[in-house]
Amino acid sequence: MEIGLQSNLSRDLFHLDPRTKLAILITVGIIMMSGKYTGVEYVLRLICVAVPFLLLISIRLFRSAFIYVLLMYSTVLCEGFIIPHTKGMINLMIMIICGVISRFGPGYLCGWYVVKSTSVSEFITAMERMHFPNIITIPMSVMFRYFPTLKEDYSSIHDAMKMREIGKKIKNPFTYIEYILVPVMMSTVRIANDLSAASLSKGLGVNRTRTHICKIGLRFIDYILIISMVVMLVTFYVF
Amino acid sequence: MENKFSIKDLITVGVFTALYFVVTFIVACLGFIPVFMAFMPLIGPIFNGIPLMLYFSKIKHFGMITITSIIIAILMFLTGHPYPIFIFCIGAGLITEFVLRAGKYESIRNCVIGSATFSLWLLGMVIAFFFGFRDAYFASLVDGYGQAYVDKMMSLTPTWMFFAMIVMCLVGGTIGGLFGAKVLKKHFKKAGMA
Repeated sequence: MEIGLQSNLSRDLFHLDPRTKLAILITVGIIMMSGKYTGVEYVLRLICVAVPFLLLISIRLFRSAFIYVLLMYSTVLCEGFIIPHTKGMINLMIMIICGVISRFGPGYLCGWYVVKSTSVSEFITAMERMHFPNIITIPMSVMFRYFPTLKEDYSSIHDAMKMREIGKKIKNPFTYIEYILVPVMMSTVRIANDLSAASLSKGLGVNRTRTHICKIGLRFIDYILIISMVVMLVTFYVF
Repeated sequence: MENKFSIKDLITVGVFTALYFVVTFIVACLGFIPVFMAFMPLIGPIFNGIPLMLYFSKIKHFGMITITSIIIAILMFLTGHPYPIFIFCIGAGLITEFVLRAGKYESIRNCVIGSATFSLWLLGMVIAFFFGFRDAYFASLVDGYGQAYVDKMMSLTPTWMFFAMIVMCLVGGTIGGLFGAKVLKKHFKKAGMA
């Protein structure tokens, strides 16, 4: 099963520490969400757009990487060169479409990369190294494990509705939401029960210091990336 | 009722926060259209009410909602919202915590009120449009979004809008809560899952 957080580490071209991934995620998120389309910040945006591409290449998702890079660069270039020359309604339309893609796209893909390439134990180990309290770490690792499942559930529900020819006929949005959400919630409850059984068998409930089997550590490439991310953030805030 | 805060609770928190966050995120994407942005505090909680009510029915211990709100704040901060989001999220989480506690985590009426108070955290997402943040924020938006978009947003968000948004949050949260309670009764009570 190709679910997130169960990556096959040996296939990756280069492997990053979870803390580096976190730094990348924060930097790309902040710059893409609030960056401007002029001057230094536009250059920073262009760099940030390239980051998820390289990350996706590194875990061998070539097709997604190329689709992404085509879409993003056309959007970002459009923002830089076409938008200043348009006015009124057209400007607003292009603005909104490009805005949604360029603001959420890179951050979303970075998040996807983190989920795809980090195993739960790596994530928990890294968080413990940073002295994050358990009550935050455990729910968050459950969340990361759950997002891909949610997507799978949604597509199965969608298929099931198609098969029974429900979906197109529903005019009331509340009925539609009910039809989607209730099965999702059913599976949520079931997964919560399953996971708590699993966590008991893994000894998470025992109040003792846990040991870790996975090795994490900052290597040369991690230091370079973290430093460059910090430099980018500083440039972003200074200018 | 067991009083200890167990690992099972943390897992419940994780799973339901994920569901809540996804629903919120989908609704928030609509926020790019200026008109929807102004009414998001009303629309968001209505959709969120359903998973939230199921979550409330699972809560048995003090502190779970607060953890949810902290996680939401962290994720929102990571996706580029300004820092006041922490104050609003954690504040709304604590208020909800006490509302639910007053009902001993069982009263449906308190759950509906809790759904209304919890949705107040959405104000943290729009706080940048108001008060001291307003001028600086809009000035920074001009380059990013273009003058037409900013003018549209400015005309939609006079200062009184903030107070209207508080009311919208509460009303939306209540509607969502009632709707959620109805769905729970219809689908989950019979199956013994709520």
